[in-house]
Amino acid sequence: MSTLLIFLFNLPDFAGSFHPLLVHLPIGILLLAALFQLLSRKEKYQSLSSAVGISLFIGMVSAIASCISGYLLSGSGDYDEDMIFNHQWSGIALAVISIFAWYLNRKGRQITWITALMVFLIVLTGHFGGSITHGSDYLTRAFSADGSGQAEEKRKPIPNVQQALAYQDVIKPILTSKCYKCHGPNKQKGKLRLDIPDFILKGGKGGKAIIAGNTDESELIKRILLSKESDDHMPPLEQPQLTKTEMDLIHWWVSSGADFNKKVADLAQSEKIKPVLLSLQSEEKTESVLISDIPEKTVGQADAKVVQDLLARGVAVIPVALNSNYLSVNFVALDSITNSDLQLLEKLSKQVIWLKIGDSNLDDNKLKLISKLSSLTRLSIERTKVSDSGIALLNSLSKLTYLNLVGTAVTSKGLNQLKSLKDLRQIFLYQTAISEAEFSQLSKLFPKAVIDTGGYKLQFLESDTVELKSAREK
Amino acid sequence: MKRDVQAQSLAREAEQAALQLHTRRHFLKEGAMGFGALALGSLLGSCGFGGSSAPNALFDASNPLAPKPPMFPGKAKSVIYLHMAGAPSQLEMFSYKPELAKLDGQECPQSLLEGKKFAFIRGVPKMLGPQANFKQHGKSGLWLSDNLPHLATVADEIAMLNAVTTDQFNHAPAQLMMQTGSARLGRPSIGAWVTYGMGSENKNLPGFVVLTSGGNNPDAGKSVWGSGFLPSVYQGVQCRGEGDPVLFIKDPAGMDRDLRKASIDAINKINQEQFEEFKDPEILSRIAQYEMAYKMQISVPEVMNINDEPAYIHEMYGTEPGKTSFANNVLLARKLVEKGVRFVQLFDWGWDTHGTSASGSVDIGLVNKCRNVDKPITALILDLKQRGLLDETLIVWGAEFGRTPMQENREGKDMPFKGRDHHAAAFNMWMAGGGIKGGTTYGETDEIGYDIVNGKTEAFDIQATILNQLGFDHEKFTYESQGRPFRLTDVGGKVITDILA
Repeated sequence: MSTLLIFLFNLPDFAGSFHPLLVHLPIGILLLAALFQLLSRKEKYQSLSSAVGISLFIGMVSAIASCISGYLLSGSGDYDEDMIFNHQWSGIALAVISIFAWYLNRKGRQITWITALMVFLIVLTGHFGGSITHGSDYLTRAFSADGSGQAEEKRKPIPNVQQALAYQDVIKPILTSKCYKCHGPNKQKGKLRLDIPDFILKGGKGGKAIIAGNTDESELIKRILLSKESDDHMPPLEQPQLTKTEMDLIHWWVSSGADFNKKVADLAQSEKIKPVLLSLQSEEKTESVLISDIPEKTVGQADAKVVQDLLARGVAVIPVALNSNYLSVNFVALDSITNSDLQLLEKLSKQVIWLKIGDSNLDDNKLKLISKLSSLTRLSIERTKVSDSGIALLNSLSKLTYLNLVGTAVTSKGLNQLKSLKDLRQIFLYQTAISEAEFSQLSKLFPKAVIDTGGYKLQFLESDTVELKSAREK
Repeated sequence: MKRDVQAQSLAREAEQAALQLHTRRHFLKEGAMGFGALALGSLLGSCGFGGSSAPNALFDASNPLAPKPPMFPGKAKSVIYLHMAGAPSQLEMFSYKPELAKLDGQECPQSLLEGKKFAFIRGVPKMLGPQANFKQHGKSGLWLSDNLPHLATVADEIAMLNAVTTDQFNHAPAQLMMQTGSARLGRPSIGAWVTYGMGSENKNLPGFVVLTSGGNNPDAGKSVWGSGFLPSVYQGVQCRGEGDPVLFIKDPAGMDRDLRKASIDAINKINQEQFEEFKDPEILSRIAQYEMAYKMQISVPEVMNINDEPAYIHEMYGTEPGKTSFANNVLLARKLVEKGVRFVQLFDWGWDTHGTSASGSVDIGLVNKCRNVDKPITALILDLKQRGLLDETLIVWGAEFGRTPMQENREGKDMPFKGRDHHAAAFNMWMAGGGIKGGTTYGETDEIGYDIVNGKTEAFDIQATILNQLGFDHEKFTYESQGRPFRLTDVGGKVITDILA
């Protein structure tokens, strides 16, 4: 019994969900009817006139069905009411006109302007409908400046996080990138809109989105913290998820009072949130460059013959991943590298992004060939005979993010020549000819890069070499 | 007469062998299934299936250790797994429990014992407070005991797993669980899986090397680095710290390199003929292993030699060349990773602190064990860092389980020293490097470290995370054996995303 009730109760929602399917029927069938009507005026197609009536009839029925299902769908509250108004009434007008057109046809009459009006209403209703699901700018998006339409607010780097505005600079960018798509100006799923403070406070169908200072009762916090398996988890699984940092920040903002105007410094901060906030500040300089960073642009397949030849030489040439044509190359198994090896490698210059060629007989001369591998992002030439004059050649490797020069004769002069490599994030200079005094100079030269100069020492502890004995053994 | 009987039995044996090649089952399998597969294959082939989806496609019998790409770009290229066999006490190293100190000497409440099984604890044991002092370290404020003064200096490189748990409370099955994903024998170890998936970047070295210290092999024996149902070429190659790194690696007197090469070529030729006849891929593995053994005669002694390392490196790691020690093994691990070895597995024995002797106590023996490993492990992290290798080398530290907050009372009697029993419910592990976010912690235990509160982490989760860092989806990385695909993580495992950079 209860199942039946649940079924009946949910029936409107169920029927409503057919709207996106049904709407295409009147569009197609009524347009076809209009076309038949037009064509049948020509002698050649006169036989089509007998098909106009039945086309109009089926189109009319489907138009009415679309109106009903559309009305049921609008009750779900997931859509902007203003936009629904236009779509709803143009749709109803279309259904009425189609009834009229069919009636006239039955009476053996044909009024051109009625048909023209019907076609116009089809276009208009369709456009309004499209605006609801795809956003009001869907039609003109292709012509907007960046071609992607949705003006995505890029998060501005925050120079001093404590002086930044908590909502405007910290929270809003998160909501913009992860929530607005369904809870913004175009769509308000669950009647929730998150782009304007008043709407945020108003909440949605599920209750108050946020309750200042009470994270346990704030629906928004509850939803984002729910496990991914839960149906109520937000954002929905198919959408980009919030990161741990983003969740922490929203949680902190709500618990500290959800103020829309104050600065970060004016809100209470726990020990836990301080490092999270700090991480926003120096976003540019990340501690590590993950080697999984591969170029977004795809590349064609490498010459299989060249790859085979290198493999036969004992050079490990491997795609960085199964479905990628980018290559990782390691010379570790080779006793000595020849120029012909590197000439082969040059043929893969589009594909090779990671190269390990350290601990080898590489010298400035051979480095010339390496400098032609313009796609390289990671290069390890540690403990080789390269010097400043060779290093200068690496200037051409504009995509380099990781450079390992450990144990080479490179000096700060040599590194100076690489200052145009703006993407460098990690430079390893342990055991080079660079003095400690020069290190600070270098970090100015490469503001984005983490420069590791090594030479780490462990403290001398007497206990390291003392074996503890039990009192009884003594 | 006797000869006749012998000949007859030999003939019978040969006949049987021939029959075995073509039994009824064999016919049915090759016939019916073969035709079915043929039909299905051509059907699927026309739909764009088949071919690449063949099971065990990663195994190329003629070159089983060829370098292979991961499923997606991995953050780590190699793994150094430090396993403290015997299970160190987390309560004297990582798990800060001031409440437990207050309960020291009191009887364990019955509620904690009901329905629980321990390896040695019987009756009602007494609680044992932490036998070490704890302090917070680094920017992250990681709690570490004063048994680990060096590790404290690199606290911010470490991601601490506070709530690891297992369902095995005896060493051998628990070690198997951690290393092979099953408490029973027969499954491939993580290192074997990784080598199967990625091969070896250095054609002169195996992809998976095992080094042991502490005087004993782990309780579960060599199965913890075995290849299980994977082709045997993927099992860990155990190297020794003293003498020849691999037994009989030197050519015997009178055998020069050319003669050795000639004999290996001859053996391989015979093996190749055997393969043509029987088509057993293990024969190809054997050929490949002979080839590699020949190459390893040169490459292994070279990489396993730490004599040439500079003095400051020896000082940093606390290494003494010529001995078998954990420190030496750690330095070797760095050298191996530098040379392109994918998976280096270290086992250090002697962490089983039951309190039966001074060396097996949490206030004496454990302290000495910590002193043995603290410095080399810290040196490893820093040395990899200054060599630009930390980001691509995943370091995993752990054991098979932890130790109880109660003092062990073997057979219901007081023990001569302070010790703790095996504890499967809650213990610590940590990871560093290899795309792990340093300075993070994951999971929580209750105030005496008896049970986990949140962030439950199982062996499968750790294995899933290791595979993920190398670029493998643990749910899709399978090997078909005995008619069904197997996973390292069986039907469990969740990547611990909270500790990823």
